[in-house]
Amino acid sequence: MQRSLFVRQPSVLIFIGLLAAFTIAITVLSEGFGLGLVSTSFIKILGKTLCLCLVAIAMDLVWGYCGILSLGHFAFFGLGGYMIGMWLMYERTKDIVIASLAGAELPATAEEIREGIGTQIFGVVGGAEIPVVWYFADSLWAQLALVVLVPGLLALVFGWLAFRSRVTGVYLSILTQAMTLALSLYLFQNDSGLRGNNGLSGLQNIPGLTHLPQAVVSVWFFLASAFALGVGYLVAAWVVSGKFGSVVRAIRDDETRIRFMGYPVEAYKLVVFTLTAVIAAIAGALYYPQAGIINPAEIAPIASIYLAVWVAIGGRGRLYGAVIGAATVSLLSSWFTGGQAPSIPLGFYTIDWVDWWQVLLGLGFVLVTLFVPKGIGGLFDRLVRKDAS
Amino acid sequence: MSALLEVTSISVSFDGFKAINDLSFEIGGQELRAIIGPNGAGKTTFMDIVTGKTRPDAGRVRFGEPQLDLLRLSESQIARAGVGRKFQRPTVFEAQSVRDNLMMALSNDRLPLAVLRYKPSTADTDRVSALAEEIGLSSELDRTAGQLSHGQKQWLEIGMLLAQEPKLLLVDEPAAGMTLGERQHTTDLLRRAAETRAVVVVEHDMEFVRRLDCKVTVLHEGSVLAEGTLDHVTANSEVIDVYLGR
Amino acid sequence: MLRIILVLLTALILVAPAHAQQSDFNTLLETHRAKIEKPSRTTISPVLEALATSQSPGVAVFLEKWREKQLWQRKADGRFFYVEKADGGKLKLIDVDTGAEAGLAEQAELDNLKPNSGVRAMIAAKLVQFQLSDPDPERRLQALTALERDANESHLSILRAAIEEETDPAIKARKVRLQLLLTIKFGSDSANRVAAIRSFAGDPGVDARAALNPLLATSVKVFDTAPEDVNVAKILTPGSDIEQDAAYQLLVDAGKARPIVPLAERKQALIANIKDGVVGGVPVAELVTQEARDRAYLALAATGAVPPLVSRDEQRSAVANHVFTEVYAEPDPALTTAARETLSDISTTVGLYQFADLVLDSLSLASIYFLAAIGLAITFGVMGVINMAHGEFIMIGAYTGYVVQQIIPNYTVSIIVALPLAFAVAFLAGVALERLVIRHLAHRPLETLLATFGISIALQQIAKNIFGTQARPLTSPSWLDGAWVYNDVVSISYIRIAIFVLALAFLGLLLFILNRTRLGLEVRAVTQNPRMASSMGINPDRINMLTFGLGSGIAGIAGVAIGLFAKVTSELGSGYIVQSFMTVVVGGVGNIWGTLAGAGMIGSLQKVIEFFNPSNTLAAQTYMIIFIIIFIQFRPKGIIALKGRAAGD
Repeated sequence: MQRSLFVRQPSVLIFIGLLAAFTIAITVLSEGFGLGLVSTSFIKILGKTLCLCLVAIAMDLVWGYCGILSLGHFAFFGLGGYMIGMWLMYERTKDIVIASLAGAELPATAEEIREGIGTQIFGVVGGAEIPVVWYFADSLWAQLALVVLVPGLLALVFGWLAFRSRVTGVYLSILTQAMTLALSLYLFQNDSGLRGNNGLSGLQNIPGLTHLPQAVVSVWFFLASAFALGVGYLVAAWVVSGKFGSVVRAIRDDETRIRFMGYPVEAYKLVVFTLTAVIAAIAGALYYPQAGIINPAEIAPIASIYLAVWVAIGGRGRLYGAVIGAATVSLLSSWFTGGQAPSIPLGFYTIDWVDWWQVLLGLGFVLVTLFVPKGIGGLFDRLVRKDAS
Repeated sequence: MSALLEVTSISVSFDGFKAINDLSFEIGGQELRAIIGPNGAGKTTFMDIVTGKTRPDAGRVRFGEPQLDLLRLSESQIARAGVGRKFQRPTVFEAQSVRDNLMMALSNDRLPLAVLRYKPSTADTDRVSALAEEIGLSSELDRTAGQLSHGQKQWLEIGMLLAQEPKLLLVDEPAAGMTLGERQHTTDLLRRAAETRAVVVVEHDMEFVRRLDCKVTVLHEGSVLAEGTLDHVTANSEVIDVYLGR
Repeated sequence: MLRIILVLLTALILVAPAHAQQSDFNTLLETHRAKIEKPSRTTISPVLEALATSQSPGVAVFLEKWREKQLWQRKADGRFFYVEKADGGKLKLIDVDTGAEAGLAEQAELDNLKPNSGVRAMIAAKLVQFQLSDPDPERRLQALTALERDANESHLSILRAAIEEETDPAIKARKVRLQLLLTIKFGSDSANRVAAIRSFAGDPGVDARAALNPLLATSVKVFDTAPEDVNVAKILTPGSDIEQDAAYQLLVDAGKARPIVPLAERKQALIANIKDGVVGGVPVAELVTQEARDRAYLALAATGAVPPLVSRDEQRSAVANHVFTEVYAEPDPALTTAARETLSDISTTVGLYQFADLVLDSLSLASIYFLAAIGLAITFGVMGVINMAHGEFIMIGAYTGYVVQQIIPNYTVSIIVALPLAFAVAFLAGVALERLVIRHLAHRPLETLLATFGISIALQQIAKNIFGTQARPLTSPSWLDGAWVYNDVVSISYIRIAIFVLALAFLGLLLFILNRTRLGLEVRAVTQNPRMASSMGINPDRINMLTFGLGSGIAGIAGVAIGLFAKVTSELGSGYIVQSFMTVVVGGVGNIWGTLAGAGMIGSLQKVIEFFNPSNTLAAQTYMIIFIIIFIQFRPKGIIALKGRAAGD
């Protein structure tokens, strides 16, 4: 009676199909690879949106399925970005330093190059020494491993502490929020070794690929993001579909009962928390090279709350709901705040959406929570059920 | 043959109130036992201690062969060691299908990584079908548990407990809110279960206890007041005092 | 009538000597005219002495004008005048004695007296003496303040003399203190200076430390053998007390060793000696390591083309053959010992006062956190609801205060109006939020959290749209300006004291409401068992609404209080929200005393961490949050937890 994932969850197949079609269509329409109907800056927005969809899936897994309202997953997203950003910035600066030293009478020594990199990167925070956290920054593979390891380890330690002491519900939410705040405050310091509030910049220039135009690089990142989203969706669907998924949902619905059935609830929560932290970190590592800059403000507590808002609007407990929510809200947000939305003159006052979008979002979100608790995905379900009957 | 569960001189107090006071208790491998007592006698706290929900301030709790010290185990470890517990209120996972509910309860490896790799074997699916047969839910296997009637939920929960294959089954007030026919059915189920394992029923409905027809332990103010057949304990003057309030 | 005569008589008696003095002063100036005309340092002293002993009231002004080069002499008769500019380029003469006008004169008729700087300094010293014994205490204080800021050796004796005749005890104490400080600085007698130093033991004043610290100024000096004739603070061990490189550099500076060739110079030397792509026998392309460069340089040095390197061994032995000492600039060991011991004594006292100051700071921060968090704690405790918009209620309170100040310009009145108004506005906002949103999300705490977050971002943006992004001032009344200063270490601003009082008042008020009123009884009933409460005729909806309103109202008041010392912006509240959560969680839910304990702990913790790492408040907050996460491990239910079955699952 072994049924494959796609039979049990037909929506997975539909999603992967739609994602593939969308990806191919955008690639064909892009400036880098085809008709040039879609601008490079819009490709970047789409690529970033796909990354946000991926972190939203992670959020849905941990909240929608496991019932842990984490207000800290954007911290893992940001950490992933920082880890890859270190390599991007270090190698890029190294290229620049080597180029600038090439004209000197004596060929540069390794120390001189390091010193040059140190001054270039850390001059802005009044340093020249390369901090010890940058030890592996010259190795892409090491930093890629750190993308997974650092957020994963943080999630593991924090989760172990929090779940072990049976902190649940709003308490846990507040604790995760505190973790995020602590991390962002730490990164805001100049001596954190990560350039304080300047953050890491110039990340859109990929070392070794600088000869390629951004139009091409952006499509590559877009494709990578789409691929990551597809894989992430499959992994998440696989995790929630089997018996593991049953247990995780049972934890969400009645933690005590499942514990008396012999399931080590804390271990399950820890697995889900850490796994989703890693997914979030990978999403971040793909997002920030497209954004070009990362700074501590990105991982302020409010970002993680927005993440929860996306998932709630999309409909939690459904993976496609998370994707819909993240894509809709973040694209709408960049449309409204980008100044493209037409203002509404009321005669005595003109509603300028750059100013009023937040109000609309906040109140809209309240309305969704009150009247459409299952989110946009829930509306979907209703349509499907009507068709079936 | 030594006892399956040995509780020795346990005490616990909340804010100075002694809920359990130097309580000792034993039950053998295949035995049906009823625990009765007035409100606040410590019946539920006793079950909380055995299942690991509450830690006693003093005393020992040993279980099984070889003997395990339950006080050093977490709730889930105790459950895996073979202690099943049915709560007063029926609790099944309403958002999931009857089949998934039973699957989760099957006595397989419960650690996350094993569960992640788990694929249901033929034996497992057969066992689920057999259990569904026993509790009369064969035709409801793919329905969501939340759509079941109140009685069906009760049976599903008992089915889940049986799927767990516990050596010791703790049942908290099973007769609460049941019709006469349902009580009869429940009595049969419990007595049948006690043929292969130990079953402890906490109850304060005397009529139901009489129907179980088993050894009775009377708790009062956190310690054992009397033990024996129902007729024996109800003849005890102290018990009469406690129940009739003198 | 008799009385008038008496008054007149008294006036006469008082005026009569003044007249006598005036004539004395005239004659006196006349007597010394030659020396005043052409003063020199050797001849001026007796004149100044004579002027001083004359006790004439005009002397001080005379000396001042003289020093400022504003004294003029009429050529015709040699009389002295002050002048003022008059019309037609003329000068108006002013009599030195009476200050009365004495006619006009052409500039050519007068000489301006310009004593040289040496003389002026002597005049100034005499002038200080006059000011220090001026009959007006205000002027004496002014003179003292000026002296405290800038004194020299000559003032010491003047000050000593001025102490004797001082009658005001407060001024006398200040004079004595200044005299001791000046003795430390300028005293000539060693025993006197030591005594003065010792007298400041345990004195927390900044001026005492400022006087003592220069005595302990040291410099690092190099000697061939252990020095005997200098006041040694400490013998330095190279490698531990002083870096090897720094020690060697000292030797070089003292001309006792060859200078090392810095890396940059070596590189320049290499570049200068490149011949046909080879330097020192090493091809240029190979110079990509420091080791290769060193090899090339050594080869060059062997040919004498560049100065040779100083080897590590050579540096080390040179350093080992000399004695490095920290030497006091002050040669007298008795003074430095006394200063050191006194300073260490002072630092103990200062430490104690710093602790007291830290306690005050912590109390002040704790009371702010208490005010910010107590509303949250009430709603969380009673309804199990986390209100993410709580911070925005604080903001609403602050903006209410700002708007009230726009209407009522009197700051005292406006604050008195603003406090209850902020309560009312936030109360209404809270009731609206409860009725419109929270009530419909009963028993879904996580969704309530998110919905209130939606309200929070909407409110913040609305505030931004109305009031703009720049900070709005909320000015405190002038009687709250300034600070209560106990000494140079312990002080606290009046605003913070006011907030402390406000927090105490609310603690009392809430305890009264919860423990002594019908509403409090019903609130406690709903908290403990809502079903039972409603079966006893208590309407939980009404209680929830009132509780939420009360919690929000207090947030509004907290907003006014916070606005007084922080700028009012739309983000004012969100800066406090996480700390408020922490306060509630750490303290334990559903308990006013718990919130108090949580606020106390978080406030003092933050201040203590800041004390040990004052330059970095960001790090302080980071460490504090980490501490709280760990704290939760040990007390998941907070400091003051409800125990047993009542705590529930």
